[in-house]
Amino acid sequence: MAATPTPTPVEVYESGDAALRVVASSPDTEANWTTVHALAEWLEEAGADGVHGAVPTYDSLLVEFDPGVTSARQVRAFVLMGLRQLDFVGAPSRAPRTFEVPVVYGGEYGPDLERVAAHEQLSIQEVIALHTAKSYVIRCLGAPAGSPMMDGPDFPLPVPRLKDPRLSVPAGAVSVAGRQAVIAPAAAPGGWCVIGQTPLAVLDAASEPLVPYVPGDVVRFHQIQPEEFASFAGLKLEAAR
Amino acid sequence: MNGSLIIHQPGNSVVTDLGRFRGPRFGLPVNGALDQFSARAANILAANADNAPLLEVTALDFRMRATTDVLIAVTGAPLHLTVGGRECPQWEPVSVRAGETVALRRITGGLRAYVAVHGSVEAPVLLGSCAPDTVVGFGLRLSEGTELKTSRSVGPIRQPYFDLPLFRLGLTRPEFSSRVVVEVTDGPDVDEFGDTADLLYNTEYTVSGRSNHIGLRLGGALPERQSTAEVLSRGVPVGAIEVPSREELLVLHRGRGVTAGYPVLAVVTSRSLDVLAQARPGHTITFRKTTVPEATAQHRAALRELETLRSTVSTVFSLLGIGRQPGWPELVPAAGS
Repeated sequence: MAATPTPTPVEVYESGDAALRVVASSPDTEANWTTVHALAEWLEEAGADGVHGAVPTYDSLLVEFDPGVTSARQVRAFVLMGLRQLDFVGAPSRAPRTFEVPVVYGGEYGPDLERVAAHEQLSIQEVIALHTAKSYVIRCLGAPAGSPMMDGPDFPLPVPRLKDPRLSVPAGAVSVAGRQAVIAPAAAPGGWCVIGQTPLAVLDAASEPLVPYVPGDVVRFHQIQPEEFASFAGLKLEAAR
Repeated sequence: MNGSLIIHQPGNSVVTDLGRFRGPRFGLPVNGALDQFSARAANILAANADNAPLLEVTALDFRMRATTDVLIAVTGAPLHLTVGGRECPQWEPVSVRAGETVALRRITGGLRAYVAVHGSVEAPVLLGSCAPDTVVGFGLRLSEGTELKTSRSVGPIRQPYFDLPLFRLGLTRPEFSSRVVVEVTDGPDVDEFGDTADLLYNTEYTVSGRSNHIGLRLGGALPERQSTAEVLSRGVPVGAIEVPSREELLVLHRGRGVTAGYPVLAVVTSRSLDVLAQARPGHTITFRKTTVPEATAQHRAALRELETLRSTVSTVFSLLGIGRQPGWPELVPAAGS
């Protein structure tokens, strides 16, 4: 993450008695993202009494706390202090790592690939080409189970969500919706369009923290054939060296 | 003395604690006991730390047998509790002799009961918590024959005269009803619902059978979002009230996905989340608006009540020698007598 040259405007909203929502509201979406992630890291480091942790996404941050120990008012003051400090010293920087993700597209692995192609008025090969063309920055960890949320491929149109969400999408599913892309670390219900599946294990429940990437890391997809799927069995998603 | 509890009839039960507070930043919900007050009370009554692993029994009958003498406490929804066939009180410590069966039957009025065992039980831990996570497939769900290791045995404590209950610790028990009022504060996106937000406070909602630890689905008149702009995924608090479909209101509970793209209309207070944890399908819910400072004050009042209980328990237990040495406790004469 690069240092923020100028302070990003931030608003703090009440979100019940045990959480606050912090929203960065600059027109520069990159600066917003940098700010909320830097603030999350600052809160983590500072480890204030009663603050459970922070969940940063794109332009917002959910700060959760124990209302028996601290209060919304105290946490708000603490967040504002963190922001002043970040304005002064700049956001920490960390070298991103790259994760190469093999994907079988279409068929039983990607039941919505044709639907997405039809909606985008592209051929299936063009959809795959666009999906594999880009280096994706992991913007945040989402549901379920630390899914890497990424800004989607450069499709002409946003991808609509499924009208009837699936009751279960398998682990490794590679999906798109709106202008976002994601890999499912664990099986869960889902309303995004599944265009492929990776054979790599994303989630490792025996390790902490569960998934190998952090926001700011980079993902690249490449196509493999269905007959290659089994040859990756048991392999984990790991950063490229 | 180590012993164990052997599950004979699991019903729908798990080992849990107060939650995985470090989970959300890694994309895992906090989970943990849905009725936090009842769970804390059970552990306090069993002279455990508030966050010690305990059993959460949901809706169905449950039976287990102890292999050593243990001390337990059962809280939460009203039910019929027997130990070795004797009827026993909830919200009080209860002695269980080796070989006796503990049975929880007819959970009514509410949905979830908590069973704490003095010395707690062993359970696997992920990110500092034993709370089950259905999404990553973690946790200890009880089945017939599951053996839970306990670390401390407590000899039988029986009032020698008329077999009256020994403990009357006087905790104000929560009320359980099929018509409950749930307090909420304005959500960060309340403005997106315009005037329709008021419907939340003027409607009787009915709990749907599709409710679970992730969220409660409520039928009734629905506020409507006025804007259609796509919302970027963001962290949503436990207690967030959303309107994801035209059919139902969704109230997120402790198993909620950490991020979502729906506007948050209102947020249930920590205190009322315990009330929701006990709402059964078919129960009626009305919402009342409060403020964050008031909700915080209420939460702290409940914690103070638990602190009072803790000091009472600690006084009584130290008189009985519980928590100090295993074996038969002896009543120690009070100082000066």
